[in-house]
Amino acid sequence: MFRRVRVLILASLCACAWPVLAQDLSTIQIHGFATQGILYSSTNNYLSANTSAGSLAWTDGAVSVSDTLSDKLRVGIQLHMYQLGQLGGPNVQVDWATGDYKFNDHFGFRAGKFKIPIGLFNDSQDVDAVHLWALLPQSVYPTDNRSVLLSAMGGEFYGNARLGRKTGTLVYRAYAGYRALDLNGGYVKSLDLDLEYIDSVFGLPTTLITSAPTGKVFGGDVRWQTPLKGLLIGASAFDDDVHGSAGPLAFAVGRNTATQEYAQFERGKFFVAGEVRRVPVDYSITATTPPGQVTIPNPLDWRSWYVMTSYRVTEKLQVGTYYSHFVDAGGGQNTSLSGNYSKDWTISARYDFNTYFYGKVEEHSIHGIDLGYYSDSNPNGLQPRSNVLAAKIGFSF
Amino acid sequence: MKKRRLSILILGVVLGCAAAQAQNVVVIVNSGVKATAASSDDIRGIFTGDKSSLGDGSRVTPVTLKGGPAHEAFLKAYVSKGDAAFRTGWRNLVFTGQGAMPKMFDSEAAVVDYVAATPGAIGYVGKGTDVGRAKTLAVR
Repeated sequence: MFRRVRVLILASLCACAWPVLAQDLSTIQIHGFATQGILYSSTNNYLSANTSAGSLAWTDGAVSVSDTLSDKLRVGIQLHMYQLGQLGGPNVQVDWATGDYKFNDHFGFRAGKFKIPIGLFNDSQDVDAVHLWALLPQSVYPTDNRSVLLSAMGGEFYGNARLGRKTGTLVYRAYAGYRALDLNGGYVKSLDLDLEYIDSVFGLPTTLITSAPTGKVFGGDVRWQTPLKGLLIGASAFDDDVHGSAGPLAFAVGRNTATQEYAQFERGKFFVAGEVRRVPVDYSITATTPPGQVTIPNPLDWRSWYVMTSYRVTEKLQVGTYYSHFVDAGGGQNTSLSGNYSKDWTISARYDFNTYFYGKVEEHSIHGIDLGYYSDSNPNGLQPRSNVLAAKIGFSF
Repeated sequence: MKKRRLSILILGVVLGCAAAQAQNVVVIVNSGVKATAASSDDIRGIFTGDKSSLGDGSRVTPVTLKGGPAHEAFLKAYVSKGDAAFRTGWRNLVFTGQGAMPKMFDSEAAVVDYVAATPGAIGYVGKGTDVGRAKTLAVR
C-alpha cells in the first residue's frame, strides 16, 4: 500500500517537475567544434611542427555552454584545447566565460573572461569553423601567438548607435582587463629561446619560464556599418604590457599602444577585406648576472597588413586568396633581410559537406622567415622561402 | 551616359529581385509585440544578431527555418547572404561569446506555433501561410 502511494507521489512529482525542468533547460545551448589538420612544407619546419615531413600535430576543439536567463541576461562558458606542433597540449583552457547584461541595443556590459575585439578576426581566430582559411593572414593573426591577445579577465562595454537612415550605424566595444599568457603558446616559447641564449652568454644555468607571464590590456574597437549594404569600416586600438621571470632573468614588454584599421565588403557570394596593424613593442630583458644587473633592450616595430577576397562558387564550395605582409622595423633594422619580414601568398578552398562537416585545403607561398619559425625546430637553419600546404577537416554543431 | 544608364538598370534589377523575394515571405511576431511595422535594416540587424529590438524599442528574439523556399527567399530579401554564410555569422557570435543561436524549425507551421506562443518571438513564413495567432509585421 505504502509502496503504491510512494510510486504515485513520485510519479506526480515527476509529472509536475518535468515541464519546469524542460522550460529551464530549453534556454541552455551547447555548441562545439573539432578540427584535425595536416601541414606539409617544402623546406622549413613551420609553426613548431615537423612540417617538412608532413605533420598531423594540428588539432583544435571547443565546447560552449550558454544560458539565456532573461531577455537581458546571458551567461556562458567555452572550453578550448589545441595542439599545434610543440604548442598547446591536452590541457583544456577557458576560452571565454562571461555574464552578459544587455540593457538595450545601445549599451551592454560583459564581465568575466571575454574575447578581445581587435580588427575583423581577433576574437574568432581560434574558431576554425567560421573561416574559409585554414590559416588566417599570419601577419596580423599569427596562429602560434594567438593566445597573447585572444582574451582577458575583466569587463567590456558594447553597443551600437544608429546614425541615421542615410549614414549607417556605429558599433563600439571598449574593454579593460588583464591576462595570463599561455605557458604552452608560441610567445612563451619564443621568450624561452631568447632567455636560453642570454643564459648561455652570461654562463647562467638554463632556466625556463614556469609561471605564466601576465599583463594588463585595455582598448576599444569602433566599426561603421555604412549605408552601403555590406560595407564595414573600422578601427581598433589597444594598450598592453607583459611581465614575467625565469630564474635570475626578468623580462618586460613595456606598455605600448597598437592600432589596427580595417574594411570589409560582403555582398551575396562575394567578400573582400583588408587590415593594417602597427605594433611598436618596447621589449627588454633584465638579467641578474654575476657581474650585476644587465638590461638588454630589444625594441620591435611590427608593421602588418593583408588583403583578401573570396567567392562562394556554390552553397557548399568557397574559394579565396590573400596576400599577407609583415615587417619588423624595430631599432631601425634592415627590413630587406629575410629574418625581418614575412610575405605570404595564399590560395584556399573550403567545402561544406553538410551543415556540420567541412574540409579545407590551402597553399601558402612564404617569403621571409620572421613569422612562424622556431630555431629549435629548424636546427639546420632556415631557407628564405618555403611553400606550405595546409589541409583540415572539421566538425561543428 | 550609356554607362550610367546601364548602372541604373543593373541596380534596378538587383533591387527588383530583392523586392520580389520580399514579396514571397512575411515577417511575423508574437501578438504581444507592440510594433506593427519595422524597417528592413531592423529585420536584417535582428536576424544577424546585431540588434535585439525593433525601431520602437520592442525587444524581440529571432527564430528561423532550417531551410526551404521561404528561408531562402527571406535570406535573399533581407540578409543578402546564403544559408551557409548566414549560419557562419551566427556561429561566429556563439563561439566568441556574443550571442545565442536562434531556434531553428523544420516547418513553417512550427515557426507560427512558436512565435504565437512565445512573447517577443519574431520569425518568417512563406506568403499565404496561415499565421494563426501570430501578428504579421509590415516591413518598410
